[in-house]
Amino acid sequence: MTGSRAAGAFWSAETSGTARAGRGSGRPPAWSLAVLVVSIVYFFLPLLGTAAFAFSTGKVFTLEYLAQGLTDPDALGSILLSAGFAVSTTVVAVVLVAPSAYLVELRLPGLRPVLDFVTILPFVIPPIILTLGLEEVYGIRGIFNLVGSPVLLVGGYFALTLPFVYRAIDNALRAVDVRTLTEAAESLGSGPFRTFLRVIVPSISTGILSAALLAFTTIMGEFTLASLMGYATFPVMLNNTYASASREAASLVLVSFMITWLSVLALALVARRSPTARQVATAR
Amino acid sequence: MARLELHGISKRFGDQVAVAGFDLSVEDGELVTFLGPSGCGKTTTLRITAGFETPDTGSVVVDGSEVTGLPPNRRGMGMVFQGYALFPNMTARDNVEFGLAVRRRPPAERRRRVDELLGLFHLEHVAGHYPHQMSGGQQQRVALARAIAVEPSVLLLDEPLSAVDAKVREELRTEIRRMQGQLGITTILVTHDQAEALSISDRVVVMNSGVIEEVGTPARIYAEPRSAFTAGFIGAMNELPVRVASRREGLVERAGRRFAAPGATELPDGAAALLLVRPESLEPIEAAAAASEERPVLRGRVDVQTFLGATMRLFLGGVVWGAAAEGDHEIEQLAVDVPSSAAGRWPVGTELSVAIPVGSSRVIAARTAAEAAAVTRRPGSART
Ligand SMILES: Nc1ncnc2c1ncn2[C@@H]1O[C@H](COP(=O)(O)OP(=O)(O)OP(=O)(O)O)[C@@H](O)[C@H]1O
Ligand SMILES: [Mg+2]
Repeated sequence: MTGSRAAGAFWSAETSGTARAGRGSGRPPAWSLAVLVVSIVYFFLPLLGTAAFAFSTGKVFTLEYLAQGLTDPDALGSILLSAGFAVSTTVVAVVLVAPSAYLVELRLPGLRPVLDFVTILPFVIPPIILTLGLEEVYGIRGIFNLVGSPVLLVGGYFALTLPFVYRAIDNALRAVDVRTLTEAAESLGSGPFRTFLRVIVPSISTGILSAALLAFTTIMGEFTLASLMGYATFPVMLNNTYASASREAASLVLVSFMITWLSVLALALVARRSPTARQVATAR
Repeated sequence: MARLELHGISKRFGDQVAVAGFDLSVEDGELVTFLGPSGCGKTTTLRITAGFETPDTGSVVVDGSEVTGLPPNRRGMGMVFQGYALFPNMTARDNVEFGLAVRRRPPAERRRRVDELLGLFHLEHVAGHYPHQMSGGQQQRVALARAIAVEPSVLLLDEPLSAVDAKVREELRTEIRRMQGQLGITTILVTHDQAEALSISDRVVVMNSGVIEEVGTPARIYAEPRSAFTAGFIGAMNELPVRVASRREGLVERAGRRFAAPGATELPDGAAALLLVRPESLEPIEAAAAASEERPVLRGRVDVQTFLGATMRLFLGGVVWGAAAEGDHEIEQLAVDVPSSAAGRWPVGTELSVAIPVGSSRVIAARTAAEAAAVTRRPGSART
């Protein structure tokens, strides 16, 4: 799936960035080069294969399939639908998780193990069980009937991305001294909302950005929930057209990869410019 | 700019008593330091004053009105934290401006005030720097400027100098004092560095396991400590066990000799007591010179010399009172300061006699049972 692979690429990009910032100069040992080469081959070989498949008729180079894929109204609609779900879930997740993680860190540290456990749960619950559970609880026999409403899918996606979002934000919160920063702001007369928005959020902006990006890419590539709830999102559309128009589908996969990678690149640039990120890197 | 009163403040964390029955008034414009060993409750008292902790009992009063129930952001106090706690995403200028922005001051006024403060703390050239681009000393000055910008009623400083190196610490210490005097801000400074406390305070509050041991001006606390704890905590002090011989005449007695000592009139006859003498008060004398009621004499062998700059500190071992018989070792160690230029006269291994000049010593009650037990095990030790 596009999402999880992009997430993998994102993590490795971030790690190598930190290593560079932390150590400055010096030659990396031979084994790490070997690992790097193997990973590059592992990540890029399938991509190269897909590209070869998408941009040729089997013998000569062509952009025909790409053009067809991109002009297909179904394809465009499905990309927009996926993007809509991705953006709304990302916003919901960040807006709910960031203040909660902050409050737990600041006032209820005893709740941390509970939160750690709850946010791991989506990893161990298979998506199909999650879907069935959601449709049962929020179905005809539940309190609200949300079946058929996009809200239910956003809710499911929220659960699905919770592990990444919570962990990315919580790591950032732990890297700064949240308690002292809060007290410093309070002693200057700042109320809780201003403290959170003006002091805490900017200090953890890198964490919030990576959380948002991870959520976004995960949902862009999510297949099971969308398919089970009957939405023709991009991955679902790809799956449907693959049999009939496989070269067009392959070219669209590459396009979606490009989009994800551009966002990763954008994030890396923003992170490098942010003073907080640099400070954390220097401190290590 | 206010008068601060703490009334009967107590606070415990579980079984741990952090502060007990803390009473203190800080006058308008006064600089008071809390001095005491680690864990004695200095930070807790400061945080209760600021409103970050709620006391179990007692009240915090500023200019006659009680603020005990108010949250920190409505107390109008300024706080400087041990680790600076600058906002990492803001430049020095934005950090200093934060409190003014919270108070919705007009931008022009803010700019003027921030410029003024950056000037006061010599920070103009780092105004646009982020915290990680500044040295520790600069960061701490920004933290001070930020706390002062909002004209706090009371300024609270929790070990503001502990994270900077010795030279910067001394510079900043002077700067804090100058700024505090200039602006007349009521200030409490927490420290466990006695030199820092003595050098910049109007009054020092010596704390020990959650209670105030004593309060006084630096000069008074240094010259006349009222408790063995203070004596041991502030400066180097020789503690010599004695017994009160005559309360009426102000005489103490040791090794069969009686001599006058200030403070003896305040203790009952026969009481175990400690004679306190600073190393710099002891006077080297010729071995033959006789002891008298006014001028008791001690004699010992130089064990160690330590160089302190203008003076050399000699540690004497096998110390006896007067010319007492061999083997009558009563004091394990005695510290004596002599001018460095003269130290060559007493190399390690030589004998040295010293007199306790009139008025340079002081008698206080011996420690409590537990403390006394510790003292018998290690009599007359010089603490630094
Ligand atoms: N939040 C807390 N929870 C539990 N115990 C605490 C807490 N804060 C302080 N204490 C305890 O209260 C006592 C006083 O602590 P406090 O921090 O006031 O000491 P301090 O004088 O500032 O020491 P230091 O010089 O090491 O900073 C200590 O024994 C400490 O362990
Ligand atoms: Mg402390």
